[in-house]
Amino acid sequence: MAVIGRTEDGVRSSPVASALVWLAGIAREYGSLVLVLICWELVARLSLVPPYLMPPFNEVLVRIWAEIGDGTLWVNLLDTLRRTLVGFGIAVVAGVAIGLLLARSSTAEWLVGPLVSIGFPLPKIVFLPIFILWFGVYDTSKVIMIVCDAIFPVITATVAGAQGVERQIIWSARNLGAGERDLLWTIILPAAAPQILSGIEVSLPIALIVAVITEMMLGGTGIGAAMMESWRFAESTGVFAGLLELSIIGFLLIRSMNALRRRLLRWHAEAQADLV
Amino acid sequence: MVAPMEHAGPGRVETGSEDAQIVVSGVSHVYRPKHGRQVLALDDINLTVRRNEFVALLGPSGCGKSTLLYLTGGFLPVEQGTICVLGETVRKPGPDRGIVFQHFALFPWKTVRANVMYGLERKGVPRREAEVRAAEILVQVGLKGFEDSYPSQLSGGMRQRAAIARTLVLDPATLLMDEPFGALDAQTRNLMQIELLALWRRSPKAVVFVTHDVHEAVYLAERVVVMSARPGRIKAIVETGIDRSDPEFVKSRAFVEKVDEIWHLIHEEDGKAAP
Repeated sequence: MAVIGRTEDGVRSSPVASALVWLAGIAREYGSLVLVLICWELVARLSLVPPYLMPPFNEVLVRIWAEIGDGTLWVNLLDTLRRTLVGFGIAVVAGVAIGLLLARSSTAEWLVGPLVSIGFPLPKIVFLPIFILWFGVYDTSKVIMIVCDAIFPVITATVAGAQGVERQIIWSARNLGAGERDLLWTIILPAAAPQILSGIEVSLPIALIVAVITEMMLGGTGIGAAMMESWRFAESTGVFAGLLELSIIGFLLIRSMNALRRRLLRWHAEAQADLV
Repeated sequence: MVAPMEHAGPGRVETGSEDAQIVVSGVSHVYRPKHGRQVLALDDINLTVRRNEFVALLGPSGCGKSTLLYLTGGFLPVEQGTICVLGETVRKPGPDRGIVFQHFALFPWKTVRANVMYGLERKGVPRREAEVRAAEILVQVGLKGFEDSYPSQLSGGMRQRAAIARTLVLDPATLLMDEPFGALDAQTRNLMQIELLALWRRSPKAVVFVTHDVHEAVYLAERVVVMSARPGRIKAIVETGIDRSDPEFVKSRAFVEKVDEIWHLIHEEDGKAAP
């Protein structure tokens, strides 16, 4: 927070100064990361470990550069992202729908409730061999696997959010003439939004994790598959390149999610600022 | 031993007359918590609110005064007895009976304007017209300039003004108020009381005002329904008969004596309630 404040002050003085302040802010925020990268480079350069086990950081960068150049990075990146986002999207829409149903209908609760209770703690990956049997080793199995894992945090957060809506908020809406449909879409959904978004924020990294895991296990395209392929050919730079690429993707995904949350919950952010 | 003193007024025949706005007859209500034992929240309540009358429901906590309000609002099912509002039996909530809650119950994700427009949208009022009507009512309650604020950005008094505006914009014939000023500081509270009386005079409607503040009840209401707790019963109905044309009426002898009279009724209750 303080970093942002200073940046805004800096903009008024001069662009160079503000850029420096910005860099200083980044260094402060991600200093530990820079430290890790420096250590990595040193350990590799000083040959403390064989380069096969840990190639130097700069060689990994060169490798990524090469992957950008020959286009393989984009192919793999887009495949991983596509699976992640399609699976995540389905998990969000279906998870919110199931969550609302569970919260509002006792029949749905009776029908689906036990399945959710059993499914939540279950390591969903046990279904992978079954999905492979049914759907093969291509995108369908991977995306279904992602949905299975990413949907649970959304469901539980939606149920909690929808059940936690204050009784008098619902009464007010009914009093003002809201029917059941209005109640669901214009009251319960927005009232539960902060919690639903928290669930979604948990499920997004899960989607990415499962995308990479299934790529590693089923092969084909995608960054996970590319890492395993590099490992088979003993190209450790390729393995480490995948690690860096995935770190950056994960970071960017979470950042965009945070921005989206702030945008959607402007009213809520103000409520919180009010409490401070 | 205490019969509902429906005839405590100066010899009016009320029940079932053309003049009645709300008729509560033989209403009992059992509160069933999920865990723990059942409580008889209301026991055989009979009450008639006259057309455009301002009535206060006064009593200690647990006397069922809010429950009676929620039943009238249609938020809780009337399981025993009947409640009729303007000749229609209450079955579900409706905009003809506006409600204002102690903790405002505004929609926090909507701006003040959007909160006020919510009911109009549900009624299918065209957007332009709804905006005009919302703007008008917000001027009336003194929230001009705060149309685009979120509830969290407002003070308690302003939030309650917004909640009142949200209800009044639908021009309900009956206004149900559940300790609406209970969460406000004394100064704001007094200001809101003055403004509520002014609003009520400008646009007459039946008001049922739940409070546990004797002073507030006598200040606002034409009749004060004093309730007793466990089970909730009507102990007495007192006509305040205050002449409010004098701005200093709070200091008048009649006012002070009325407050005193009702205090006595409640204290009797205290003595009895000790188990």
